[in-house]
Amino acid sequence: MIDLVRAELLKARTTRGWYVYLGLIVLLVGLGVSGDVGTAEDFVRSTVEFQRGLVEGAGFALLLGLILAITIVTTEFRHGTITPTLLTTPRREIVVVAKAIAAVIVSIGFALLAFLTLAVVGSIWLAAVGADNQLADPDVLGAAAKLLLAAPIWALVGVAVGILVQSQVAALVGTLIWIFLAETIIVAVLELLDVGGLADYLPFQALDAADGTNPDLLPYWTAVGVSLAWALVLGAAGTERLRRRDIT
Amino acid sequence: MIEVENLSKRFGKTQAVAGLSFRVEPGTITGFLGPNGAGKSTTLRSVLGLVHPDSGSAVVLGVPYRGLDRPLHQVGAVLEASEVHPGRTGLNHLRVLATAAGLPRSRADEVLALVELTAGGRRRVKGYSLGMRQRLGLAAAMLGDPEVLVLDEPANGLDPAGIRWLRDLLRALAAEGRTILVSSHVLAEVAQTVDRVVIIHRGRLIQQASIAEVLAGAQGATRVRTPDPARLRELLAAEGVEVNDAEGVLLVDLPPEQVGEVAAQHGVVLHELTVERATLEEVFLELTGGETTE
Repeated sequence: MIDLVRAELLKARTTRGWYVYLGLIVLLVGLGVSGDVGTAEDFVRSTVEFQRGLVEGAGFALLLGLILAITIVTTEFRHGTITPTLLTTPRREIVVVAKAIAAVIVSIGFALLAFLTLAVVGSIWLAAVGADNQLADPDVLGAAAKLLLAAPIWALVGVAVGILVQSQVAALVGTLIWIFLAETIIVAVLELLDVGGLADYLPFQALDAADGTNPDLLPYWTAVGVSLAWALVLGAAGTERLRRRDIT
Repeated sequence: MIEVENLSKRFGKTQAVAGLSFRVEPGTITGFLGPNGAGKSTTLRSVLGLVHPDSGSAVVLGVPYRGLDRPLHQVGAVLEASEVHPGRTGLNHLRVLATAAGLPRSRADEVLALVELTAGGRRRVKGYSLGMRQRLGLAAAMLGDPEVLVLDEPANGLDPAGIRWLRDLLRALAAEGRTILVSSHVLAEVAQTVDRVVIIHRGRLIQQASIAEVLAGAQGATRVRTPDPARLRELLAAEGVEVNDAEGVLLVDLPPEQVGEVAAQHGVVLHELTVERATLEEVFLELTGGETTE
């Protein structure tokens, strides 16, 4: 299994897309922090509240981790590399597990890179505007820890969606439409029907609560549990689909 | 080594393979032949555990492919040449597979050298010619130094020099005692390389035999040259024998002994009397009904 995970990580690192992901994290987190610090009022900048908000802005890395997790799976179908992969590892469920572990490792790496960028760029900006650096405050670190824990959960949902949908374009476009449009509509409909509480259990409402950035949704640990349940259910269905599929 | 037993597989309305059975003996090169669409790829993918047969079984080294301990060390396969990520270099493609199979990364360099692709190894696969992709596929199949090789149309995209190179490589690999199953829709590509052939058509077995047996089964006509073809033709026709005329040469559907006797009885001079062997290609076309596509 260790060999398979290493092979999956090598796959991820040996295409150009990898550097695009790393570049996007550094660039967007760096720009985001610069923009936030630059536009905030002087008396706000030094507060723990504001600086915790900076950390939560780095949660963007989680979405990239999710997208990478989807492509770790779907690229195999897009380029037909699923054939050599399954010739090497004919037991298909083991391939899925190896990919899930690799996606978890990469997602944690993405989150750490985002925090590193945030710490460096944020500290420079805060010093430059003469604000107190509160980034090491327990409250800020606590928010970072929750994001770090949420990263692998987002990645697991990504692998699950990828293995269930299998088509790369459908999985990526479908996921983005689901996050930014479909789920919002479902939430609105459920509220109209007076069962708005159910909406909190939708996958990305749960993931949103599981990264600790949205206190209006499910309690933290419930959200973690619900998110993992979604990953497990979608992943199991996808694995079964892969097991039955003829690779032609 | 490879045993296919009553294998059937249907895709939608197409019966790709219908009750196919054959065996590949250890240490032989077996040609797996049939026109495009005959069910060769479906059969090979069933052997490799990629396609689930509707009924029947396919085992390699005595077990279903999925039951192999270390598949890459036991069976090497070359399927479609396009199954590589275009943005990855050839060398990295092989390193990924080597890592997954628990092989040292240096093995990737070794197999690249084996297929004479070292120079192209550090380039991205999207810039490869079809021939280079075929070589990369062969390199991947050789990673685990397997005793069984399954190759689906490996000559596709190779130029004549490449086909010759492939033939020499397969012979060398077989000489090391490996078992090779190689498919093709062009008999000439493999005719000089294989020991045995399995010929299929429309998903069914047409013939399974050695090359020599296939040729022997194709009894040819007798080729006769004589200064007086019209007379000999008349004599043979009188005995109800079919005679074809081709540029002053008679092709007689009768063994040479009997043609000679007829000629001697009537005092006809013969300049040539030989058995015309059907070529493998003709046999192949005859066995598969002369169809090359479906």
